[in-house]
This record gives sequence, C-alpha cells and structure tokens, in this order.
Amino acid sequence: MKTCLVTVGATASFVKLVRQVLSEPFLACLKQQNYTHLLVQYGKDGKPIMDEFLANNPDGSTALHGIGIGGFDFKPNLDSSIHLAMADEAKNQEQGLMITHAGTGSILEGLRAQLPLIVVPNSDLADNHQEQLAIELDRTNYAVNSLVEDLVSAVAKAESMRHQRPGMNGAHENTQENEIQVSRAMADQLATLD
Amino acid sequence: MASTLWLLWRLFWQLLGPITTFAFLVVVVIVASLAYSHNATIPRVRRKNQPVHLLLVLGSGGHTAEMFSMMKNIPLDPTHYTYRTYVVSSGDDFSAKKAKEFESGFLKKGESDYAIVTIPRARRVHQSYWTTPLSTFQCLWACFDVLLGRYPGQVRLPMNYLSPQPDLIITNGPAVGFCIVLAAKMIRFYESVSRWMCGSSSTQAVSRLRTIFVESWARVNGLSTTGVLLLPLADVFLVQWRSLAGRRAWPGMKQTQYAGAAVLPNPEGKEHIKGVQS
Repeated sequence: MKTCLVTVGATASFVKLVRQVLSEPFLACLKQQNYTHLLVQYGKDGKPIMDEFLANNPDGSTALHGIGIGGFDFKPNLDSSIHLAMADEAKNQEQGLMITHAGTGSILEGLRAQLPLIVVPNSDLADNHQEQLAIELDRTNYAVNSLVEDLVSAVAKAESMRHQRPGMNGAHENTQENEIQVSRAMADQLATLD
Repeated sequence: MASTLWLLWRLFWQLLGPITTFAFLVVVVIVASLAYSHNATIPRVRRKNQPVHLLLVLGSGGHTAEMFSMMKNIPLDPTHYTYRTYVVSSGDDFSAKKAKEFESGFLKKGESDYAIVTIPRARRVHQSYWTTPLSTFQCLWACFDVLLGRYPGQVRLPMNYLSPQPDLIITNGPAVGFCIVLAAKMIRFYESVSRWMCGSSSTQAVSRLRTIFVESWARVNGLSTTGVLLLPLADVFLVQWRSLAGRRAWPGMKQTQYAGAAVLPNPEGKEHIKGVQS
C-alpha cells in the first residue's frame, strides 16, 4: 500500500488543486509510481467536486487507474491521515507522498513525519508570503515547489528525491554574532542564579 | 459672534505651545524608556528552584502550529516551566484543542498545571475599520487582566508563585501578541516608576513579564506587520532566516537575532508521531 495525501487547509478554498489531483493524467502518474491510494483533504468548497468525481467514476472505472480514492473536508489533527502515508511494515505500508498548499502547519507536519513533500502555493490569495517560503524550501531540498499545472512532473521529481537528505545549511547551529537559540534566549530572560 | 471667534482663535494659539510641548515630552519619555529597557541588564536574582510561569500566545492555524513545533523542538521542560498559560482568541477552538493536545500528549501533564484563557479578538475578519480601535482597546484591556491574573476564568496560582504575573511571554505573530507585549511593557513601566517614586529602586526585584517574539518561519524576505510594531517593544526578537537578522527599530536599540529554523522538526520528531498513533 502506498498513499498520496493531499491537503488544502481550512481557511481558504483551493478548488484548482482538488480538480488537478482528481484529473486523469495525475492519477495515471500516481499509478506509474506504484501508488495504490489517494487521500484528499479538500477543505472549503471542495466537497461538490469530490462527490461529482466519485459519482462519475464508480469503483473499477478505467479513469481511476485502480487507485482507491477517499476524501474529507477538514480535521483539526492530521496525524492519522499522515500515518497512512508513512512507511509501516506491520501494516504493509510503503512510504508515500504529501502534497500540500503552502500552509506552515501542514508543511511542518509533513516534515515531522519525514514524508516527501510537494508544496503548491495558492496563487489566488492576495497576501502570498507562502510563495517565498515554498521557493526557499525547494532551494534547500526540503520540498518540491510546484504550480498546480506542473503537479505531474513534481511527483516524478519528489520520487527521485525520496532518499536525499535535505540540508538547511546549519539550521540548528548558532555560532556568529546576532545568533541565539530559543531555549538560550528563554533562559537568559529568566536570569536564574547559577 | 465675531468676538467669540476671535476669543477661540486666541485660545487656540495660547494652548498650541503647551500642547505641543507636552506631546513632545511624552514622545521623549516613551522613546527614552524603551531605549533604557532595551539596554538594561536583567538583575540575576531568581533562585534556581523558583517555579516559573510561562505565557504562550496562540493565534490561528499556522502560528499555533509553529508555536507547538518550536516547543517540541526545545523541548519544553515542564519541571522547569512549571505553569503554562495559553492565550487564545475567541472562536479559535483549533488552538485551544492543540494546546490541550500538547499538554496531555507531549508534556503528559494534568489540567492543574496549565490554563487556557480566551480573550476577545483585536479585529475580526471583515470587521469595519471604524470599530477596529474600539475592539483593539477591548482586547488590550483583556490582556492587562490576563497578565495581572484577574481575567474571568483564571484560577489562582499555587502559593509558591510569588506573583500572578507570568515570568516569561512568548509570541510568534498573531495581532493579539502585540496587545499582550504592549500591556506587559506598560505594566513594567508603571511598576518601575512607582518603585522609583517610593525610593525603593535600589532593591532588585525578580524581573517578570519578559517578552520574546519569534517571527514566523513563513517570513523569508521581510518582517510581518506585528513584527515591525514589536521591534522596539519585545525584549528579544528572534528571526528564523539569516537575512532578517540585525534589524532594529532605531539606532541604539536591540537588534533582531537569528535563531535558526526553530520550528523545523528535529529528526527525532518521527518517533513522537508514532507514539501518538499507537
């Protein structure tokens, strides 16, 4: 079993991404990469698209390429869904993939689970500092930054990077002036006697 | 009629001087005290086994997720930070739920060791700009009460906490965080002035209400609005990208410091998710 998890977040709708991951070429691409399941957190306004797709393509229709598809609108805790995409020999699970809108929360959860990650910033949103983050993550090999339209090639890229270790050039080292760790700063402010 | 206008005109010019002088003095006092506060050293008088009260400001999905990811990375030691208060905006059930999850799942602590305080929002989404000052003031007022431990629903801390005020405040971006830090600074200003007036300024008190601002990890190229507002106010200003380090409100003030990607999960983080699952 190999699962691709897609999340679009809770606050804004991202219909374009939902449509894209339910498209024929994308499912064909998943099949080619040996995926068996697609789980979509479709968020606001995503339900009608999901329902329509499942009604038009009942189990066994060729458009599905044999991939099992499920969806839900939103859960405050994604742990159980993320776990489905993680490697687990006891449950015969292979490590899958996570595709997310560039929301910080879901990116962090994906990284915590050490899943290959594709971030798709929602270009329809006005304040788009998420795009900067996505570019920076791509540069440091933490994730693949992709447009909605390029998702198929992004999946191939994420697959090829699966065993590569990302490096955020010394993210947890603080040596120079003007650098301090959070725990150190907290202790400094408390100024406890030695 | 003409004479009344003439009188008002005279009055305006007579008061203009005093009013501008007063306003100028107020600005000087504010700037000087902010600069003084940024450059003062913290008296090292806290005893080692003294309980510590930590206040965390939560707000909306991304900020809350970053906060708890960071606390798990540190990792927060509940035997050191013995009491935690979480400030949540009204209507934000997600953050309250995450706080409970963090306490019972990660710190493995009972409900007597922490409190979740819900305060009114500074500005609701789509709220008219005309009423925003009013609701921001309401939010600031609530922040004062929270910091002084008398907001409705707050319980009394155990006896070994010498003050209801939190020792340390950490926020990472929501607008409520600005209100909390501003309220903390104003309380500290009031207390130091009254200590000075009473002539007891020589006795060093344990410093409380110290504030740490951590700029959101999502801010790569520029500070957020809350961040810019907090530049002269927060005692420590941490950023998670090197390019944002070294900024300050004006010359002579403290600079922003690079803390690494503080929210980024450590490799050990994987075990934790497994633990939650099984």
